[in-house]
Amino acid sequence: MTNAITQGLLPEGLRDRLPPQAEAAANLLRGLLDSVAAHGYERVQPPLVEFEDSLVGRLGSARRQDLLRFIDPVSGANLALRHDMTGQVGRIAATRLAHYARPLRLAYGGPVLRVRGDQLRPERESIQAGAELIGRDSVAAVAEVLQLAVEALTQTGLSGLTVDITLPQFVGELAAGPWPLAGARLADVQAALDAKDIAALRSVGADRYDALISAAGRADAALAKLAALGLTGRLATMLDDAAAVIAALGDTPATLDPTERHGFEFQSWIGFAIFAAGVRGEVGRGGAYTIVHPDGREEPAVGFSLYVDGLVDAGLGEVKHRRILLPLGTATEAGTRLRAEGWATVAALDDAGDARAFRCTHVWNGVEAVPL
Amino acid sequence: MEDELIIALPKGRILDEALPLLAAAGIEPEAALFDDSSRALKFATNLPGVSLIRVRSFDAATFVAFGAAHIGIAGNDVLMEFGYSEIYSPVDLGIGRCRLSVAEPAEQAKDDDPRSWSHVRVATKYPNVTRAHFAGRGVQAECVKLNGAMELAPALGLTSRIVDLVSSGRTLVENGLVEVEKIADVSSRLIVNRAAFKMRAGEIGALVERFRQVAGDAAAA
Repeated sequence: MTNAITQGLLPEGLRDRLPPQAEAAANLLRGLLDSVAAHGYERVQPPLVEFEDSLVGRLGSARRQDLLRFIDPVSGANLALRHDMTGQVGRIAATRLAHYARPLRLAYGGPVLRVRGDQLRPERESIQAGAELIGRDSVAAVAEVLQLAVEALTQTGLSGLTVDITLPQFVGELAAGPWPLAGARLADVQAALDAKDIAALRSVGADRYDALISAAGRADAALAKLAALGLTGRLATMLDDAAAVIAALGDTPATLDPTERHGFEFQSWIGFAIFAAGVRGEVGRGGAYTIVHPDGREEPAVGFSLYVDGLVDAGLGEVKHRRILLPLGTATEAGTRLRAEGWATVAALDDAGDARAFRCTHVWNGVEAVPL
Repeated sequence: MEDELIIALPKGRILDEALPLLAAAGIEPEAALFDDSSRALKFATNLPGVSLIRVRSFDAATFVAFGAAHIGIAGNDVLMEFGYSEIYSPVDLGIGRCRLSVAEPAEQAKDDDPRSWSHVRVATKYPNVTRAHFAGRGVQAECVKLNGAMELAPALGLTSRIVDLVSSGRTLVENGLVEVEKIADVSSRLIVNRAAFKMRAGEIGALVERFRQVAGDAAAA
């Protein structure tokens, strides 16, 4: 059975943004990008569509089946819509901007599309904004990027921010070193840790890793619990570096979760997710990762992506315009002056104008603005 | 209301087993929760700012996954079926123990060799788990979603097999069915919404720790 497509019906997971949310989305995107631009991050604008092969297999990239793909009638090649812009920025950094001095600071923003939504997030199209610092993934680089993300989000009016720090390589390092997995597969242990599923952890015989689940929580307490494990070498360095990044966050509350992957699979030593009061799920995420150049050379990088739609849904970015109806015959100069004063003017084209129906807040009476 | 902590509890048998654990963790629901005739869905507790909701077992996981409730109790059967990425299950409460199994008529089981299956028709409340389980061994499962009385399906020719929770196995026997394969051991878990776990780390962390101790004590007893 196929239902006829009724007028106005959109495909699943897609929507129109109307006033005032459409403007709010544009304002938020501009505000976020202005914040990062002020810190020297220069904007790049990769295309909406690329060769499928260059979108797949890149960092942050999905599997082929997660992309909306089609055959290009011009080249006959497979093309795909981007589902994430981070990989595209990495491609630019590794090719056209490979000769630019490092660290290279780039920013971007625009729509992305995933082929299917899920029950928790049915949206397929979303607006992504972000910044990437290419050529470094030191504590200083991570701290800069994280502070920048927090600053950009705070500037939108968002409050109650919490930053969750994750150590994507921590479990692998533990398993390869001091905490060997007796027979258990690393993937199973990581899956159990992802769900903080103690029973599953026990069933694969990795009871010891339970300590990592109970360590997850407020950063100060988590660092103390992890320090008590007496780890050395690279693991201890990771913890020290994480502590330094957390210290750089200052007053922003932080949590530390040494096992979380949740989409951080492509991150290297550190990842982070940002949560905020009044927004369901994450408002942004990021971390350190590796860009692979065409010649196979690897380059460290760190960056973040912010999700504009969650901010719009939380009611941010809306601008209350003073909106005034200019009746028929209003002098051109009056309109010009009002706009210069910050009014949005709505010119009546005939006598039938009901100011309220045009969502005006005021009417021009030839001398002054009369509130409705 | 922003700061209210909501705990989603499943109705029925699990609720009865969960209440002593809640009490041991210091959470005492208001009397209306114990009144089966009460039509209320949300209940206060002895702790200010902590409320309980009583919903169907599958819905407890959904409320928590979406962050509408912050904490809940759900069986891993439900968690496996939904596969919600935003749910943590940091405590095995050790209650509601049973298993998720494949069953079929005893008559059919006598000369049935699972190794030769290529396609099975299964009545179940767990279509996702069932499909994944059979797909994992190269068998395509066509699922008929039922919400209860699975045991009737083979007798009435709806499907030849069922996937359902089995505890004592008595219901199966009474309906002429035998358990042929166990998919998973099931028990109830304390579940926590991922964002709530991060944003209210202090408060929720302390609560999780209390439940861990309570569940540990119960297991040791």
